[in-house]
This record gives sequence, structure tokens and C-alpha cells, in this order.
Amino acid sequence: MTRARAFLGIAALALAVGLWMAMTAPPDALQGVFSRIINVHVPSLWLAFLAFAVTAIGSVMWLWSKRPRWDRLAMASAEVGVLFTAIGLVTGMIWGQRVWGTAWDWGDPRLTTTAVMFFVYLGYLALRGAIDDPVVRARRSAILGAVAVVQVPLVYFSVYMFRTLHQIPSIRPDGSTMPREMLMAMLVNVAAFTILYVALVMARMEVAAAEESASDAEAMAGAVVRPPRLSEVGDV
Amino acid sequence: MSFWHQTLELARVDLTVERRLGETLRIIAPFALVALAIFPLAMGLRLTLVSEMGTAVFWAVGVLFGMQVGLRRSSSDDRERRDLHALLGVDPSARFAGRVLAGSLLTTIFLVVLFLAMTVLYGPELPESAVLGATLAIILAAVGLAELGTIAGEITWGLRDRTALASLIVAPLAIPLVIGGSQTLQAMAGDTGILPWVLLMITTDLALAVAGVALARPLEEATR
Repeated sequence: MTRARAFLGIAALALAVGLWMAMTAPPDALQGVFSRIINVHVPSLWLAFLAFAVTAIGSVMWLWSKRPRWDRLAMASAEVGVLFTAIGLVTGMIWGQRVWGTAWDWGDPRLTTTAVMFFVYLGYLALRGAIDDPVVRARRSAILGAVAVVQVPLVYFSVYMFRTLHQIPSIRPDGSTMPREMLMAMLVNVAAFTILYVALVMARMEVAAAEESASDAEAMAGAVVRPPRLSEVGDV
Repeated sequence: MSFWHQTLELARVDLTVERRLGETLRIIAPFALVALAIFPLAMGLRLTLVSEMGTAVFWAVGVLFGMQVGLRRSSSDDRERRDLHALLGVDPSARFAGRVLAGSLLTTIFLVVLFLAMTVLYGPELPESAVLGATLAIILAAVGLAELGTIAGEITWGLRDRTALASLIVAPLAIPLVIGGSQTLQAMAGDTGILPWVLLMITTDLALAVAGVALARPLEEATR
């Protein structure tokens, strides 16, 4: 059994515990059961921040060491980060529809900057998809991965910078504004989602390593007879 | 040759090439002015709305077309010129700085032309004192767009889908500049403080400058 599968198993157990705690925690006095969506929304966006920070670290480390595994880490983390950003956006819109009466509010900078961050990393993935050569792809995407992370603090601090519908974080250095049961449920879900993130990143890295091996084997076996790819021809 | 000498010389060469090609003022600027003229028609010629939307449209058009200035042909070296720079021992950081310097100057001119056109076409209600704030916001936005355009242009150099891909990369990353620029003008119109928005733009410009200089050598290696 691969380590990724082991982590997926642990993540499944942790998510089950998180779901049970989320469903048994007392609902919010004003929002009712809809407040339970916090247990998916907050962990998803926490993972988006984590994933894009890891992408930046992987990118810088690749530029420093040129080891392929750092490029795989950056790519895998960006893909998983985009997935969790999408989940965070959708759950935020569902929550907003219920609480604010609208799914999308342009006056809410957290929502807008999160959507922008989503597009930045879609651009990162599009760049990777446009380059065939693995070394060129790793080098160029590493540079973008290191630059794109400037978006993350903008998203995080947007609730402090602007007047907004979105609340500031409930957990602050001076304590939490949430009831203990709700806080515990959310923290367990944050932990469960983080384990899921680790499992997904590991699985994606394994797939990427297998793809690279297959590509190398194909190049070795068929280099003599394979016609050049269009991208290899260049301008003619 | 010192870093600054190299920077100035490379910027001068870029501007000379641009003067000959004229891509910014002959193609991009007229296209942006057409876009500026289309918006009031799309708003159904409601004059109050047009006046209110003037600065917003300026920033939208300015950033979308301003990034094309950063991605213009004269800022993209062919392989021979890159090899020549490498053989001459040109500092990659100076290459980045020179390109940003030339791009900033061109983008500033482009945005000034666009801003003047917007004030004539849309008639926004801006106090006279807004000129200083607008100038500052335009310069800071131009520097940021030139930095982003240079980085994105290098990352996508030689790729089949270069123009579309570079625009996809630059547009979302330019959001802090759009926010800073538009809020600066709004603050000037409402007579409130512009400092937070100017600081946001300066921080973005500095972060991009540090990233561009630090990553200049890998950027150069990435395209060889």
C-alpha cells in the first residue's frame, strides 16, 4: 500500500469524525443549521492558502536545487489548491445566499480577491499545460509560482483593508468569538481536511512521477523513429 | 559597465525599437480609445451613469490594454539578441530593470493619454486637486504593469499561445493595482485619505521589483 493510500484512509476516518462533530455541535442562534457550512468553508480556504504557500516553497526549492520532486510538489499543491479554492468559493456563495441574501457581492473584497487568486492559479496550471519540455516547464512555472504567492496575503488581509460584509477571522490571538463546541468541530475539520490535502498531494506526486518515467521510457525506446512534435519544430 | 549603465542602455534600446515599430501609440492606444468609446454606447448613453463610471472604465481599459504595452513586440528579444546579451555578459537583473524602465515610461504615456481621453469623453466629477493623486496612481500602476508584463513576457517567451497565456497570467495579478488606482481616485473625489491605496500600490510594485530582480537569472535560463 502506498503512503498516499494510507493517508487517504486516515483522512477518511478524520473526515468522518469531523462530520459527526459538525452535525452534533449546536447550531448558530441566528443562522441555524446553515452555520454548519463553516466546517467545509473555512477548512477549504485554509487549505487553499496552505496549498499556494507550498507551491511557492516548492517553486523556490526547485529553482535552488533543480530536483524534480520539488516541481512535482509545486504542481500537485497548486492543483489541489485550485480544487479547494473552488470548494471554498462555492460554499461561501451558498452561505452568502442564505445569510446576506446574495450569493455574490462585489462589495465583499474577500470574495472577489479569492476569485482572483483562483484565476491566478488557473493561469499557473495553463502555463504548465502549454509547455511540453519538463525542464522548461519546471523552470518557468517555478518563477510564476514564486511570484503568484503575493496574492495570498492580499486575500487574507482584504477583510481588514476594506469595509466588507465578510467577517474578520473568528480565531484571533486574543481568543475566539465562537462557542467551544463549534470551535472544536471546526478545528477537527481543519485537521481532517489538512490530512486529505497531504494525501491528495502525495497521490498526485506519485502520478506525476509515473508519468515522467513513462515519458522517459518512451523517449528512450522510440527516439529513433518518433517524428518530432510540433512544439519541437519551432518557427519554420 | 555598471548595473545602472546597462539598465539605461537597455531601456534606451527598447525605446528606440518601440519608436521605430510604434506598437504602443499606433496600435494599442487607438484600440484602447475605441474600447473607451464603446462603453458609453453599451451603457445605453445614460449620461449620469457614464459620468459616474468614467474612472472605473479608465482603470479597466487602462489595465487590460496597459498590460499589452508590457507584452509588446519590442519588449520581446529574439534568440539571437538573447545570445548576444549573454555573450556580452549583460546582467540579467539589469536586463529586467531596463525593460521595466522602458515599459513604465511607455505605459505612463499610454495611461495619461487614456486618462485625458476619459475626462473628455466621460466628464467625471473630479476636483482639481485630483490631478496630483491621479498622476501618482497612474505612475505607480504603470510601473507595476511594466513589471508584471516583463515577468509574464519572459515566462511565456517562445510559446505558441504566448499572448493569451501572458494576459491570463498578468490580469489577475494586476488586481492590487486596479484596486489601488481606482480607490485613490475615489478617495480624491470624496476628499478622503489616499495613503492606504498609494501604499498598496507601492508595496505591490516593490514586491514585483524584488521578485523580478531576484528571479532574473532563472528567468533568463528559462528561455534559453
